[in-house]
Amino acid sequence: MKAKDLMIPLQEYLRPDNTLKEATNLLRTAQRGEEKIGVKALPVLDDSDKLVGILSIGDILKAVYPSYMYLMDLGAFTWDGMVEAFTRKAADKKVEEFMTRKVITVKEDSTLMDCIDQMLKNNIKRVPVLDKENKLVGMLYERDVFYTITKIMLEENSANFQGESLKFNEKDRGKK
Amino acid sequence: MTQEVVAASQVVTGSSFWTATAIFVLVYALIVFEKIHKTILAIFGAALMIVLGIVTQEDAFNSRDLGIDWNVIFLLISMMIIINIMKPTGVFEYIAIKSAKAAKGKPFMIMAIFSVVTAVASALLDNVTTILLIAPVTMLICQALEIDVVPFLITEALASNIGGTATLIGDPPNIMIASKAQLGFMAFIYNLTPVIIVVLIAYVITIKFIFAKKLHVRDELRQRVMAMNENDAIKDPVLLKKSLAVLAITITGFVLHGMLHFEPATIALFGAGLLLLLSGEKKPHYILAQVEWTTLFFFMGLFIIIGGIVKVGLVKLMAVKVLEITQGNLFGTTMIVLWFSALASAFIDNIPYVATMNPVIIDMAKQLWPDVSGIHLLHHPDLMPLWWSLALGAGLGGNGTAIGASANVIVMGMAEKTGNPISFKKFMLYGMPLMIESVAICTAYVWLRYYVLKI
Repeated sequence: MKAKDLMIPLQEYLRPDNTLKEATNLLRTAQRGEEKIGVKALPVLDDSDKLVGILSIGDILKAVYPSYMYLMDLGAFTWDGMVEAFTRKAADKKVEEFMTRKVITVKEDSTLMDCIDQMLKNNIKRVPVLDKENKLVGMLYERDVFYTITKIMLEENSANFQGESLKFNEKDRGKK
Repeated sequence: MTQEVVAASQVVTGSSFWTATAIFVLVYALIVFEKIHKTILAIFGAALMIVLGIVTQEDAFNSRDLGIDWNVIFLLISMMIIINIMKPTGVFEYIAIKSAKAAKGKPFMIMAIFSVVTAVASALLDNVTTILLIAPVTMLICQALEIDVVPFLITEALASNIGGTATLIGDPPNIMIASKAQLGFMAFIYNLTPVIIVVLIAYVITIKFIFAKKLHVRDELRQRVMAMNENDAIKDPVLLKKSLAVLAITITGFVLHGMLHFEPATIALFGAGLLLLLSGEKKPHYILAQVEWTTLFFFMGLFIIIGGIVKVGLVKLMAVKVLEITQGNLFGTTMIVLWFSALASAFIDNIPYVATMNPVIIDMAKQLWPDVSGIHLLHHPDLMPLWWSLALGAGLGGNGTAIGASANVIVMGMAEKTGNPISFKKFMLYGMPLMIESVAICTAYVWLRYYVLKI
């Protein structure tokens, strides 16, 4: 199994000069796979369609979170309405300001173990897949890797289950 | 003195003199350009000094005059360990929130109280540590009050440099001076703390004139601050009690270290060791990793580089030149040291500056009193005002510009990150006059205390 066999081909993406307002809307409506709506991250491509970053829900949270709060334990001293105020200020800021620039990627021919290696070592749940020309062709999600593992486990035991569970799983994969 | 000048100029002929001078000048120049990290420059420069045979490895690692001053390194390490253990207890958040409430959420009162708290904390802790502890709370409170945080950040950075100058442990230059000149904790308290208190009072009055009228907030926003409960800050009351007890023991130890015949670093190391033990920490890795090794390696590298230029006689040459300019007039020399240190520290890092000036002052003393040596030379009554002027100039001078002190650099960085960048010019507009005011007060103090009253 290779990265390209499991990835979801590239559909939606952002440009660096999109606003966070546009970005959140796309995160909300973008499709992952055939049926699932809403994604937790979107790749950011520049004008020449080169992958320059990735914007995740976490990055959106960071956009409304004052960086000084990382330095001390101040959560107990925040007030109601603080997030609302910061969100209003962040809405028109640009994606490039908050996207993660150092993107961990895999090649379309990377083995599945290589993909898991990158996910675990970098603590990421999705990884952009690049073709030979370093063009973004899709996204590989942790959940899809998990489904593959599930499938293998159930196949090993299929002598008992007679493939019944396997069918259930394939059906499940598309929907959930 | 003419003989000494000849002796000094004779050193110039050696090739090792030029090698060491070149390394020193190059490293310092590159530090100013900031293209390569200063710690990398210091480590590489130090390695060059040894590889090129200017100083031996033995000198570099083990000589107090030519090598790494472990007294400074261990004092810094130990204080960093104590703070790293204390930080998660929430005590610093507690103090800051309590201060803001004591000010009743009134903006200028917050500014004044935060400045004083910052100054006092800086006198006991490293300035950078203090700023990293007070600035985040300041930003939160300014956001709650919906006022511009920039004046608060600038006044705190300035206050931290003022407070840091007050004690032996307040600021790395003072630690270096204390170690080189073998001056105790109480000597700093007697000689520097009184004038710093005056400087701080004058400072608060001055910022009142500058900022008080401009700062206004609506009452309902003040309620946001008054609604904060400082007790929520305390995360680990048991560790807090242990930490405060150890801090009290450590500070008492500093006060008594002369009587106990311990170096300050011994006291600090004891405090750090005791708190590590009492904290019940199973794995000290995290606490030790949090020690600012980058800063410490910068110090180590610098000490070796300075050792090199001491050994080849460059420092002696500098000392002779300074005395030539002042014609051996001690009051004149003191004033030059005070003001030159202030101006130099406004533009360059005061740590390498003081690292260079320490041996220069010792060499000046050797020129002036060739028959005296050891502690009698270091503590020659006529030399003392020079040490204090160096400490005051280097400590307060940092306030002159945004790059003058690490605390300033940190608030600039924080302000930029939160979308309120402070320009170099804006910082200087406040910093430079306030720095000149403080050094002027010190001028009067040094003159009055050491040359008129002679106490």
